[in-house]
Amino acid sequence: MFHTTFYIRRLHSICGLAVLGMVLFEHIFTNSMAIFGPAALNGALEMMELIPKPIFLGLELGGIAIPLLFHAIYGVYIALQANNNASNYGYCRNRNFTLQRWTAWYLVIFLIWHVGYLRLYTKGITGTPISYELLQNYFQNPVVVVLYVLGMFAAIFHFCNGITTFCMTWGITKGPRSQNVVSVLSMGLCAILCLITLTFMGSYLI
Amino acid sequence: MAEKKVRFVIERQDSPESQPYTQEFDVDYRPGLNVVAALMEIQKNPVTVDGKKVAPVVWECNCLEKVCGACMMVINGRARQACCALVDEIEQPIHLAPARTFPVIRDLLIDRTRMFEALKKIQGWVELDGSWDVKDAPIQNPYTAQTAYEISHCMTCGCCLEACPNVGPQSDFIGPAPTVQAYLFNLHPLGKFDKPKRLNALMEKGGITSCGNSQNCVEVCPKFIKLTTYLAQLNRDVNIQALKNIFNN
Ligand code: HEM
Ligand code: SF4
Ligand code: SF4
Ligand code: FES
Repeated sequence: MFHTTFYIRRLHSICGLAVLGMVLFEHIFTNSMAIFGPAALNGALEMMELIPKPIFLGLELGGIAIPLLFHAIYGVYIALQANNNASNYGYCRNRNFTLQRWTAWYLVIFLIWHVGYLRLYTKGITGTPISYELLQNYFQNPVVVVLYVLGMFAAIFHFCNGITTFCMTWGITKGPRSQNVVSVLSMGLCAILCLITLTFMGSYLI
Repeated sequence: MAEKKVRFVIERQDSPESQPYTQEFDVDYRPGLNVVAALMEIQKNPVTVDGKKVAPVVWECNCLEKVCGACMMVINGRARQACCALVDEIEQPIHLAPARTFPVIRDLLIDRTRMFEALKKIQGWVELDGSWDVKDAPIQNPYTAQTAYEISHCMTCGCCLEACPNVGPQSDFIGPAPTVQAYLFNLHPLGKFDKPKRLNALMEKGGITSCGNSQNCVEVCPKFIKLTTYLAQLNRDVNIQALKNIFNN
C-alpha cells in the first residue's frame, strides 16, 4: 500500500506544469530576443554564459534533463494506455485529450532531434556557441523551420492544455464552469505564445 | 405498397473467441421505432437483406425505459442505451456493434463482470453488520442528498467505460462509474466510516490516477451523472488522504 502509481502520476503532473512549464517560458523568453535583432539575442545568450559552468550544468541536468526524461518516459507509458477515440466521440475535451497525446509523440521525436543536434552535438561536442548567426544559418532550410515551428506549437499546446487538465487532476477546478474558464484562459495563453513564436521565428527569415 | 424500411448493419460474433462479421437487416419503419424494438423484429424474422435466414441477433434488454442499463451497445459509433435510441433521431443505416471494452459473449451481448469486480475493489457498499446493534437507518445529510441521489442513478450500463479512452485492454483503469460510486458511498452517513479505505483503493494502480480528463464519460452518461465533477472531487479527496497517509504516521 505505498501507492507508487499515485505518487508517480502526481509527480508527472507537477513536473510537466511547474518544471517543464518554467523551461518552456524561459525558452520562449530568451528566443523572443531575436525579434529585437542579433545583438539582443546574442546578449541574452551571453548573459546565460555568465552563470558559472557547474551551476549551469547542474541547472540543465536537474531542472531540465531529469524532469524532462522522467515526464517523457512516463508520459509515453501513459499515452500507451489510451485508445484515442475522438473520431467517434468528437467533443472538445476529447479532441484535446487526443491532441495532448499526438503532441507528446511529436515532442519525443522533436526533442531528441532538437536537443541532440543543437545542445549535445553543436554546443557539446563541436564546442560551437549558439548564436543568432548560427540559428539564422540553420533556418535557411525551410523544412527545419516548419518542423521547429511545429515543435514549438506542439510544446505550447501540450503545456497549455496541460494547465486545464492539471487543474482537474488536482481537483482545483471541480465544476464545469470553472473548468471551462481555465480552458478558455489557457487556450488564450496558447494563442499568445504561438504568436510570439511565429514572430521570433519569422525574424530570422526577413 | 412500397413500405419504408430501416437498414441495420450489425456487427455479429458467434462466440467469445470467434471472428466478428457484419450482417445487414431491413426492418419495417413505424413511428416511434427504437433500436430494441427493431432488434425484436429481427428476432422474429432473422432474414438478412440478401434473403438469407440466419440465427437471430443476440442482445440484452430488460426495463425498456433506461433504468436497468442492460441494453448498452455501440450505435453509430457511440455507446448508448438501445431502448431509448429512437430510429427517427439517428442516422441511417444504423450501425450496431457490441461494446468491445467488455468481453463479447455473443453478438451484442457483453460481459460486465469487470464493473462489479471494480465495485468490490472500491467497496461499493455500506457495512451494516458487525458487533454493534443495527439501529434505524440514519438520516442522509440534506445538503448532499441531491448529489447522492444523482450518483445512485448509475445503472452500471457501461456507456462511460466504453467511451473512456483510458478503459480497455491496454490499461487497467477500473473506469469512471465504479470510481464515482466511491464518492456516493463516502457521502453515506454510515458508508463514510470506510472513506479512507475507498480513497486508498482509488490511489492504487488502475484507480483514479488513470483518468486523463477526456470527459467523454460525462458526455455519454445516459443518467446525466456529473461524473467529471465527482472525479475532480475525488481527486481532491485522494490528495488529502495522501497527506494524511504521510503525516499521520
Ligand atoms: C517529451 C515528451 C512528452 C511526453 C511523451 C509527454 C506526455 C504527456 C502525457 C501523456 C500527458 C497526459 C498525462 C495524463 O493524462 O495524466 C502529459 C501531460 C502534461 N504534460 Fe507532457 N509530455 C511531454 C513533454 C512535455 C513538455 C515539454 C511539457 C511542458 C512544456 C509538458 C507539460 C505537460 C503538462 C503541464 C501536462 C498536464 C499534467 C496533468 O494533466 O496533470 N509535457 N504529458
Ligand atoms: S474524464 Fe477520465 S474517466 Fe471520464 S472518460 Fe475521460 S479519462 Fe475516462
Ligand atoms: S455512470 Fe452513467 S454511463 Fe456510467 S455506468 Fe453509470 S449510468 Fe452508465
Ligand atoms: S432495457 Fe433497460 S436500459 Fe435499456
